[in-house]
Amino acid sequence: MDSHQLPPSYSIKRWLLTTNHKDVGILYLVTSLYFLILGGVLALIFRLQLAQPGLNILSPPAFNQAVTIHGLVMVLFVVSPLAFALANYVVPLQIGARDLAFPRLNALSYWLYLFGGLLVMISFFQDRTLDVGWTLYQPLTSVFSPYVGVNTGGLGLALLTASVTVSTVNFVVTIFRSRAKGLRLTALPMFTVGVLLTVLMMLYAFPALLAGIILLASDRILGTVYFTSPQGGAILWDHIFWFFGHPEVYIVLFPALGVFGDILVTFSRRPLFARRIIIAAMVVVATLSFLVWGHHMFLTGMHPDVRRAFTVTTIAISLPFDAIILSFIYTLAKARIELKTPMLFVLGSIAIFIIGGITGVFLGSIALDYVLRGTYFVVAHFHYTMAGGALVGLIAGVYYWYPKMTGRMFSEKLGRIHFILTMIGFNTLYFPFFLSWEMPRRVPIYVESLVPLQQIATVGGFIFGASFLVMFWNLLYSLRYGEPAGSNPWGAHTLEWMTESPPPPHNFDGTPTFVDGKLSFIAANGAAHGEPETHLSRWPFMLSLASFLALLGLTTHLLVSVVGVGLLAFSVLGLAGERFISREEDLGERWPFERVDRMKLAWWTFISSEVVLFGVILSAYVYVRTASSTWPAPGTLLDIGHGAVNTFILLTSSLTVVLALASSRMGSRTCTAGFLAATLGLGILFLFNKYNEWSELFSHGITFSSGLPASTFFLTTGIHGAHVFAGLLALGYLFARALKGAYVGKGHETLEYFGYYWHFVDIVWVFIFPLFYLV
Amino acid sequence: MVATTVDIFTSLWSIFSTLGVLVGVVVMAYMVYLIVRNRAKPEGPEPEDAPKPGELPREQKGAKKLLISVILSASIVLTLISLTFIALDNLDRPPAGAMEVKVIAFQWGWKFIYPNGYESIGELRIPRGTPVKLYVTSQDVFHNMGIISLRLKVDAIPGKTNIAWTRVYETGVYDIRCFELCGDGHGVMIGKLVVMDPEEFNSWYSSLQVS
Ligand code: HEM
Ligand SMILES: [Cu+2]
Repeated sequence: MDSHQLPPSYSIKRWLLTTNHKDVGILYLVTSLYFLILGGVLALIFRLQLAQPGLNILSPPAFNQAVTIHGLVMVLFVVSPLAFALANYVVPLQIGARDLAFPRLNALSYWLYLFGGLLVMISFFQDRTLDVGWTLYQPLTSVFSPYVGVNTGGLGLALLTASVTVSTVNFVVTIFRSRAKGLRLTALPMFTVGVLLTVLMMLYAFPALLAGIILLASDRILGTVYFTSPQGGAILWDHIFWFFGHPEVYIVLFPALGVFGDILVTFSRRPLFARRIIIAAMVVVATLSFLVWGHHMFLTGMHPDVRRAFTVTTIAISLPFDAIILSFIYTLAKARIELKTPMLFVLGSIAIFIIGGITGVFLGSIALDYVLRGTYFVVAHFHYTMAGGALVGLIAGVYYWYPKMTGRMFSEKLGRIHFILTMIGFNTLYFPFFLSWEMPRRVPIYVESLVPLQQIATVGGFIFGASFLVMFWNLLYSLRYGEPAGSNPWGAHTLEWMTESPPPPHNFDGTPTFVDGKLSFIAANGAAHGEPETHLSRWPFMLSLASFLALLGLTTHLLVSVVGVGLLAFSVLGLAGERFISREEDLGERWPFERVDRMKLAWWTFISSEVVLFGVILSAYVYVRTASSTWPAPGTLLDIGHGAVNTFILLTSSLTVVLALASSRMGSRTCTAGFLAATLGLGILFLFNKYNEWSELFSHGITFSSGLPASTFFLTTGIHGAHVFAGLLALGYLFARALKGAYVGKGHETLEYFGYYWHFVDIVWVFIFPLFYLV
Repeated sequence: MVATTVDIFTSLWSIFSTLGVLVGVVVMAYMVYLIVRNRAKPEGPEPEDAPKPGELPREQKGAKKLLISVILSASIVLTLISLTFIALDNLDRPPAGAMEVKVIAFQWGWKFIYPNGYESIGELRIPRGTPVKLYVTSQDVFHNMGIISLRLKVDAIPGKTNIAWTRVYETGVYDIRCFELCGDGHGVMIGKLVVMDPEEFNSWYSSLQVS
């Protein structure tokens, strides 16, 4: 197979194997729009149910499932993936890169996302999918919804978090390491700024979701008692979920803010107002977003001081938002505004978002939130921000970059019709929700007095739904019959418009650079040296398929899992052994990571997200422990001896890894292989000792479900053990290659990267040991 | 008459909604004004600093204008927050002499335990004018007890007891509903709060047989 050239776009092979960022972007685009239809149809069905108080279109369980899947699909499978679609296509172009830093990982993110979505869809056809609301409250989810589909759906979410983690690492490394020379971080186009901050928030928010899902799955499947016991329970989940959930709402929003910035500049023919302040404000928001989660818990009876603190942070976060939105509006002063479709959508979206932001301040006021929480007012607020601000904002982006992606213009007239229908439909649908603020959310029946409002909303829902049909028609029709777009139809200034539409596989002829303050191209030498780069790989698809099967089997037939795991091993080896050439841009702006090569940066980024994963799991332990009035004294439940031995073993193994790296640097094959073998042995010893410890506990009748002390111990050390196990698999591979002399002379970086991971896993143990065994 | 939960909410709500609508209208009117005024006319010249293809982004200076705007909104928001804290103090302080009732939420209904030990399901009777303090918990999942027409809401969480109070000056029947998704029966988890004439209440209450 000639993997340097992409097969033509009508070939299925191309779409299954491609690793090119533009292709992956298109895949994301099509898939997220597909999920948009799915989530939208679900919403229309339950809007029908709500057209009259006494209708029985959906039974209560069906209603709950529809509402839950609608929420999850829209937040996790539509808006963010749509943003990733644009980000995939546009970010490398905007920064002058040939592709993302890790093209295969990029394809992997996409396929994991798709297969995660498939799991959620399959769960529909099992005995009840998730029916507990997108917030997955406890203990409703952990014990009171004992359906198979809930498990499958949850595993789908886990696959999605894997996808997000992979893309996050990829985008962080790309934006930090592959910028054209002279493109400083502050000179990045706004969309890229938005994406960068989005992935940074994702990096630290999604591991919390993953930790939550792990604890939840373990409660449901293994019988641990994190959420069933009152010491953990509802409140523990609230903390974990909203620590993820609040940043998530900005994660959803930020790419749209970036879209606003770029489109405003292009169509108002002015530079952005106070651009650097906007960026600074976005950084502040991104940071603060991790400190406001408590405002979703005002009614849980939290300590008054804590409540007050969260009110202050919540209100504080509205100020940088003010600065951002006002700067966007001030940009319009003394401008020459062209009201083309993308601009119309941006202006409409900003207007809607303003309403969402103002009502957010209402909710941030505890005394009002006491009454508004759990009502349609909240539903209205977050649709104004998420659907109106984020989704409609991204639609603006789809129109804006459509000519770049396809080389054709869409019909401006249909675009305007879509815009008008969107504004009418959106507000007819959601404004009545503000006025329905006495109505609880997520109920299939309601009081007579609300009939008019709810009926208006249902009508609005259908208008809003229909508006998308206009868009789909427009985009499909113009693909074929649109006017040719040329490279820069909007007269924009950013780099993505300085190449053909659609751009060639390598994006630019020549290497773009901004060294003397404005764009010039250095004659193509990137492609000239060495072998051509690779653009096709079958492993991302295979790996995702394998993970999908492995998870699907857990809730259907274990044989499926077995096949999945086998395929997984095969694909991992395939991926590791594949010759895949992707070179880093040799002329690049890399501040502040000039000296950190891209693999190293990727590892550090990944490990920093793992810190959050373990941070949450350990915090959950500390939380339930402080909430419990009694806890076994050190040495009673757990044998300190086991812990101490294992601590010693792991610390020693850190040393042997260091020695292996040193030997490879010195060029000794035997020593390298020897120290790797020693590490491998120590790791196995660690797990063996762990196994003994667990079996002793089991033989004393202590299991996952014997109370919180046992649950937390098994889960935390289990997750840690899984990390050790993964490390051992990697070690086995490294050892086999080291025997053949792989890491002597060159390639010892691989050992270094592995070392980071291994040390990290050891450090985690250094926390676990005292926390569980000694205090 | 002493303030009720309804009064506290209503006064705060009217301030927020007045200011909210005002700010919203002003900002949007300004935006529309700018758009209408600056709509491109085909013959119009490009602004001098129009971004040119391939250029690095520039910015319009405006730190001062922005600072003033943000200070303005900060002062609005700070006012709102102080009002909130005042209201909150009142909400956190139930009046003395309250009748204390225990509420246990379950899938899918409400159980009430009166001071004398009497238990009832679905209906809570209270005397007009007397403050009532509710000790709310749940025996299974996370619920939320809301009597929206009294502007009262409190989470019902297993293993935890939350306190809310109210005082009603009008006899009548008020809906109690669940405001947190709690399973299949969430939509029909409806109870009644019956506010009675004090004398009627007393004769009813003293006639109760408590086992
Ligand atoms: C000025 C900025 C904002 C403030 C002060 C704010 C405040 C709040 C508060 C206090 C709540 C909790 C309400 C409750 O459940 O009782 C809330 C809910 C929510 N907000 Fe915002 N918000 C803001 C902006 C946003 C943005 C930008 C988004 C999304 C793009 C968003 C999405 C949501 C969502 C999804 C919920 C509901 C979650 C649920 O319970 O299902 N908010 N907001
Ligand atoms: Cu929030």
